[in-house]
Amino acid sequence: MTSVSRILAVWLTPVALLAVPAALCARAGDGLWLGLTLTLVPLIVLGLPARRAPGGAGRAERAALFPVVTLLLTVGVLLWANIALAGDVAVWLGAPRWQGIVLTAAAGWMLTAWRPLRRTAPLLLSIALVAAAAPLLQVGWAVGLGPIAAWDRVATQTAFRFPPASPWVTTGRSLGTVHGRAPLVFDEVHRLTAPAGGVLRARTLDGNRLAEIEWSLAPGQSVTLRAGDELVPGAPVRLRFEADKRVPGAPASGMAWAEDPPRRWLDRLGLLVTLLVGAAALLRSGLTIRLSRDGAGFVAGGLLLVFVWAQAWAVYAMLQSPDLFLGGVTLERLLELPGAALFAEPWRRALQAFLLVAGLAAFLASSVALRERLGALDPTGGGEIGSDPGLWAGLFGGAALASLWPVDPWVLTLLALGGAGCALGPATLYPPSPGRAGLATTAGLVGLLVFATFAAAQLRGAGGAPLGPAVGYPALVGVPAGALVLWLGRGRAG
Amino acid sequence: MRPVSPRSTGVVLLWLLLGGFLLLGALPNESASIRLGGLSVLWWYGGVLAPVLGALVAIRWLSDPLPAPPRDE
Repeated sequence: MTSVSRILAVWLTPVALLAVPAALCARAGDGLWLGLTLTLVPLIVLGLPARRAPGGAGRAERAALFPVVTLLLTVGVLLWANIALAGDVAVWLGAPRWQGIVLTAAAGWMLTAWRPLRRTAPLLLSIALVAAAAPLLQVGWAVGLGPIAAWDRVATQTAFRFPPASPWVTTGRSLGTVHGRAPLVFDEVHRLTAPAGGVLRARTLDGNRLAEIEWSLAPGQSVTLRAGDELVPGAPVRLRFEADKRVPGAPASGMAWAEDPPRRWLDRLGLLVTLLVGAAALLRSGLTIRLSRDGAGFVAGGLLLVFVWAQAWAVYAMLQSPDLFLGGVTLERLLELPGAALFAEPWRRALQAFLLVAGLAAFLASSVALRERLGALDPTGGGEIGSDPGLWAGLFGGAALASLWPVDPWVLTLLALGGAGCALGPATLYPPSPGRAGLATTAGLVGLLVFATFAAAQLRGAGGAPLGPAVGYPALVGVPAGALVLWLGRGRAG
Repeated sequence: MRPVSPRSTGVVLLWLLLGGFLLLGALPNESASIRLGGLSVLWWYGGVLAPVLGALVAIRWLSDPLPAPPRDE
């Protein structure tokens, strides 16, 4: 995989692309760190000197199976995360979840199965870039503020309030579509209306006592919540909020959003290690990449453009649609055109279509590039894994089935990158001598085992203060474990 | 001693750019939140300066040298 467009497509899946503006909206400092690491880490990994991969003598072929199986699973999980995101987008835009899933999975499979379409990654990336840039430029032009002025406006807001034209205010939206992690706690008295009726549950503070109340609302009936009350998310009831009231789950003010809280060193280190070893596994494991000056410029320029887009998109989205904070910012909300009153129909629908085309094109480019990435690792040298339609039908089919249940696509992506990184990263960055291919496999298995133990704790919601960052980013412990085995093995050989 | 290759220089510079962000965030009195020209210092660095410098570093130092032209006999 020498084509630079394929490097970009492997790294910049739609989930990774949208995770940056989502993180920027949630907390400016953390979002900047995510964007900066996503931009610079692939360059660091590509810049590391090429070293001979372990191999040789009889065991090479067996040892080569480990990276192939690891990357096959990684690609499967990455596809799962992106197809699940397509399902989330469909639900958010009012369509059934399965429609988004079937459309993306079928298109991705067709593209990987049909031979003439396999070299379309550069074209698809270009389509994604243009289709994502057009709505951004239109929004910037309609708002009448450059990105820096828009940032200043956001950072000086006294509170994030529901705009009068927000769909949450005008027609209402289903509470079932809110699946962020922020609690729906109200900061002021707020009247909620259920246009079609339904059951609503809330935790209310009665003096010092917390009580859970359930209301069965008739169509058009309202309920008033006080400051400190918390709405229980997940109920499939359509709700209308009041205009100009604070958005539950939003930062206290623009200033609170913009400031960088100290105390997040280990979390930031965890993210850096996860992305670094993940990039090493995805972009370098088993491959020798030589970049020309044009190629390096293309990769670096592409990463920079994506980061700039993410920043501008996040700022305009917060300025025009602060309701995206409701219950916590999730990725699918950033594929909706911000500012309900900004454009008239049919222009608005056309720009929304541009955004969806950008997301689909980025997904298809990633699918093609991930298939080629896996094919390049084929131990037989013929790339059979990359061209086996049955295998890819199974991967897309499995990912589509798993996507029917909502998951957090970014958490899945981090788990995929961290797992692949713990299994393959240490040996890629610090390869054993050519005759010791088995050592790389042993180190990878140990790293993966440690990673899986902590990842299981993360999925169970465990993790106290001392182990918090290791549970949040299991690569923080998996990578040193694998590297230690490599180091001990090399020492014994020496 | 191994010679320092241009790629190593580039990789070290990219690490420094990442480290600069962590350092800036650790400055006392929330100095990184000071506004300059409409943006906070942290945003100027993490969102503008470091990514642009990173791209320039990649173009200047991360590419492989062109193959030497054939010598005239």
